[in-house]
Amino acid sequence: MTAVVSFSPARSLAADTYPQRPDRFLNDYAHVISVSDTAQLEAQLHKFEVDTSNNVMVAIFPKLPSTSSVADYSIHLYEAWKPGLKDKENGVILAIYIQDRQLFIVPGYGLEGALPDATCKQIIDDEITPKFKAGDYYGGIQSGVNAILQATRGEYKGTGHLPDWVFPIGIFLLIFLLQFLSRRYTSFGSTGRRSGWYVGGGGWGGGGGWSGGGGGSSGPSSWGGSTGGGGAGGSW
Amino acid sequence: MKYILGFFGVIVLLVIVVSFGGCVSYNGLVSRSQAVDQQWAQVQNVYQRRADLVPNLVATVQGSANFEKSTLTDVIQARAAATSVNVNTNAAPNDPNQLEQFDKAQGELSRSLGRLLVTVEAYPDLKSSKNFLTLQAQLEGTENRISTERGRFNDVTKDYNTKVQSFPSMIVARMGGFTPKPYFTATPAAQTVPPVNFNFDGGSPTTAH
Repeated sequence: MTAVVSFSPARSLAADTYPQRPDRFLNDYAHVISVSDTAQLEAQLHKFEVDTSNNVMVAIFPKLPSTSSVADYSIHLYEAWKPGLKDKENGVILAIYIQDRQLFIVPGYGLEGALPDATCKQIIDDEITPKFKAGDYYGGIQSGVNAILQATRGEYKGTGHLPDWVFPIGIFLLIFLLQFLSRRYTSFGSTGRRSGWYVGGGGWGGGGGWSGGGGGSSGPSSWGGSTGGGGAGGSW
Repeated sequence: MKYILGFFGVIVLLVIVVSFGGCVSYNGLVSRSQAVDQQWAQVQNVYQRRADLVPNLVATVQGSANFEKSTLTDVIQARAAATSVNVNTNAAPNDPNQLEQFDKAQGELSRSLGRLLVTVEAYPDLKSSKNFLTLQAQLEGTENRISTERGRFNDVTKDYNTKVQSFPSMIVARMGGFTPKPYFTATPAAQTVPPVNFNFDGGSPTTAH
C-alpha cells in the first residue's frame, strides 16, 4: 500500500479550471474597468505586441477561482494560455484577483531577464498596489502595464503573432502572382512549361496545412510560450 | 506443403508485427525516460538557484545590527546539508529512498528559510532595506519555480510510469529493465486541494467592442 502511495503523483489533485485562451489582451472577468478604458489598454497592448512581439496579457478575476495559492493559479493560467511566441517565450501575464486583494505577475522564460522576480515585485509594490489601495483599478493596471512594457521593450524585435487572416491572404496573393507570372511566361514558352507552373501552384495550395493546424496555431509564428514559474505577487 | 508454407507465413508476419510493436514501445519508453531525466535536471537547476541565493541573503542579514544568530546558523547548516546530498543531476533517481532523502534535505532548507523570513519581521530597518526586499522577491520567485518544476517532474514521471506499467509496453519494459520511477510527494498544503468548478461570471469579459 505504501508503494502505491509513493508512486502516485500529487499534482493530479489540483483540478482547477481555467478560461479558454482569449483573443484579447485585456480580459476583465470582474468588470471593474470601463468599456472605453478597456479599449484604450487593449489597443496599447496590441500595438506593443505588433511592435515588439512581446505578448502581455492581463486577466482580472472577481476572486481566485481555486483553493490553491494565487502564485499557483497564475502560473497554471500561464500554462493554459501560453502567451508569447513559441521560439521566444516572450509572454507576460498580469493576473488580478479583486476580492482576494491579490495579484501576480508571471513572465515567460524569454522575459525572465527583462522582468526578474525583484522587478516584478517592484512594479507591483510601486506602480500597482498604491493605486489599487485607493480603489483606482484602471490607474494601477495602466501604470503596471506601462512599467512592464518599459522593462520588456527592446528585448525582442519584429512583428508579433500575425492575425489569423494574414497568412491565408498571403497565400492567395502568392497564387495570384504565380498565375500572373505563368500567364506571362506561357505567352512566350511552351505548354509543357505552363503545366509546370500549375503544378507549382498546386503545391502552394497544399500549404493550406498551415491553417489546417487549427487550435490556435496558425502561420509560422504561433503562440506557445512557457514559463519557469518565476515572477512575483503582492496584495493591497 | 501449402499448409506449412502458410503456417510459416503467418509466423513470420506475427514476428514482424510483434517486433515492430516492440521497437515502437521501446522507443516510447526511451523518450519518456529521457523526458524524466531532463525534467530532473530542471528541478536540480532551480534548487541550485536557491542554494546560490542563500550566501547573499546571509550576508545581507548578518550586516544588520544584533540579528538573532540561531535562525541564521540554521539556514547555513540546512544549505550545507541540502547541497551535500549526493544525487546524479543528469538522471532521475530510481530509488524512492534517494529521492526522499534529497527532498527531506531541501525541505529542511525551505523551512529554515521560512523561519528566517519570519524573524526578519522583527527588524524593520532590515525588512525595508532595498537589498533585503530584492532578495526576498528572488527567494519567493525561486520557491515558485521549485514547485512548478517539481509539478512538471511528477507529470512526466507519471507519463513514463504509465507506459512502464501498462500492457503491452510493460513486456518491453521488463525486458529492457525499465522500472517505475518515484514521484515527489506533495507538501501537506497541496494535498488538501479539492476540485473547483468555477463559473467565470457568465464567461464574458468586458471587451472593447
